[in-house]
Amino acid sequence: MRIQLDRPRCEGHGLCEEAAPRLMHLDDDGELVIDVPDAEGADLDAAKAAVRVCPVAALRLAAA
Amino acid sequence: MTMRRIVVVGNGIAGLTACDSLRSAGFDGELTVVGAERHHPYSRPALSKALLHSVDGDSVDGNSVDGKSDDVLQAHVLPEPTHEATELLGVSATGLDVDARLVRLDGGDELPYDGLVIASGSRAKRLAPGQGAAGPRQDGSLRELTLRTIEDAILLKELAASRPSVIVVGGGPLGVEVASGCLHVGCEVTLVSDVKPLSRQLGDHLADIFTSAAVRRGLRVVGGGKARLLDHGTGAKVVLADGTELEADLVVTAIGDEPNIGWLAGSNLLVDGQLRVDSRGRLRPDIVAAGDVAFFPTRRGVERVPLWTSAIDQAKIAAVGLLKGDAAPEFDFQPYFWTEGFGLSLKSVGFAPVVGTPDFCEPGESADSMLLRWDNMDGSGTAVAINYRIPIPKLRRLADVGPAAVRPAAPARV
Repeated sequence: MRIQLDRPRCEGHGLCEEAAPRLMHLDDDGELVIDVPDAEGADLDAAKAAVRVCPVAALRLAAA
Repeated sequence: MTMRRIVVVGNGIAGLTACDSLRSAGFDGELTVVGAERHHPYSRPALSKALLHSVDGDSVDGNSVDGKSDDVLQAHVLPEPTHEATELLGVSATGLDVDARLVRLDGGDELPYDGLVIASGSRAKRLAPGQGAAGPRQDGSLRELTLRTIEDAILLKELAASRPSVIVVGGGPLGVEVASGCLHVGCEVTLVSDVKPLSRQLGDHLADIFTSAAVRRGLRVVGGGKARLLDHGTGAKVVLADGTELEADLVVTAIGDEPNIGWLAGSNLLVDGQLRVDSRGRLRPDIVAAGDVAFFPTRRGVERVPLWTSAIDQAKIAAVGLLKGDAAPEFDFQPYFWTEGFGLSLKSVGFAPVVGTPDFCEPGESADSMLLRWDNMDGSGTAVAINYRIPIPKLRRLADVGPAAVRPAAPARV
């Protein structure tokens, strides 16, 4: 699955980074950087957790 | 005892996070989640923010789903859960027997458990509780709208689309967001608040910034407490304590929330009508609680903090508290709050309301953009970003450490 970010919607709350630190992080300007865009296996669970905690629903998962 | 069956009552973000956290902590037994709403969990904060503020034709999604124009109704959607719990949706818990370890459900079924997570959330308080003025009129229209569920949000959005005049009662974050959303889609909006809007949550300084922006955009703010609701023709009338009468097509109340604890009457879990957990989310070794329903210890006393991140953080703690008992980590609540409206987006880390003017202020790129910090009386700090893009961990460092966290060290003087 591919992690999709709706950048205008992202407000940099950073809950996703807490849920999936291996897959994404907020850079110094507060912009979310997706480090591993294609998540499979254990990464996929982390990615789903990250998508779910986003309070502004800025993250989605789509078929790669 | 070994936990083989865990029941989670509540399927909002606290219940969902508890399920996820139980699984990631290694619980591989039978997990059942009971949700009074018919839906999978969704983002409640989005209801009064992105969802309410979007105008038909906006694509809040960026990529259209099936090419339909209802993308605007997707702002709250979260992906389907992966915790592999049995989900009983549209089912309410009606009772709890802590000795027999049974949750009673409406419809008469009983769910046995070894461990129980109470995450039954809260509901909107109403100005006109019970029957009478709160109920629908003969033509089916509602006298008083609230905003708590996705159904509430969709109804409000539909009604607001025809640009009625709106009275919003309640000057907390939800009332302010609802007022902003209704104004944004073209309604004439009056906000009724007993104190300066947002002052109770944020303090006067920040409340002034929001109120000025709101008034500039056309919001009418009326001070006055003890609002009452009167039925009035096709619209509604709000009467204030001083006798002032306000009329509008639509009244939305946002006067707070009440924990859903009715089903716990007789369980002996309530103390003075409150569900108070310990620092690991526990009420008893086999029962934990998290989210809007729970009071928990913070550095500033026992509080209920019905906010999104609070629910997530509590649920993580409670899940581990249920599985590991005293070996689980204790909760150190770190307040985080955000709101948006009237063109302002505010994020706050640290205890609020803040008193007086900020001790540190750094303007951002635009006129209404700023980064602020208060030194609180108890030695803690509160950091606030308004229209200022900053990672939350950095905002947290600003709150904890002070301005040095966001400014490069000044060159040493020689």
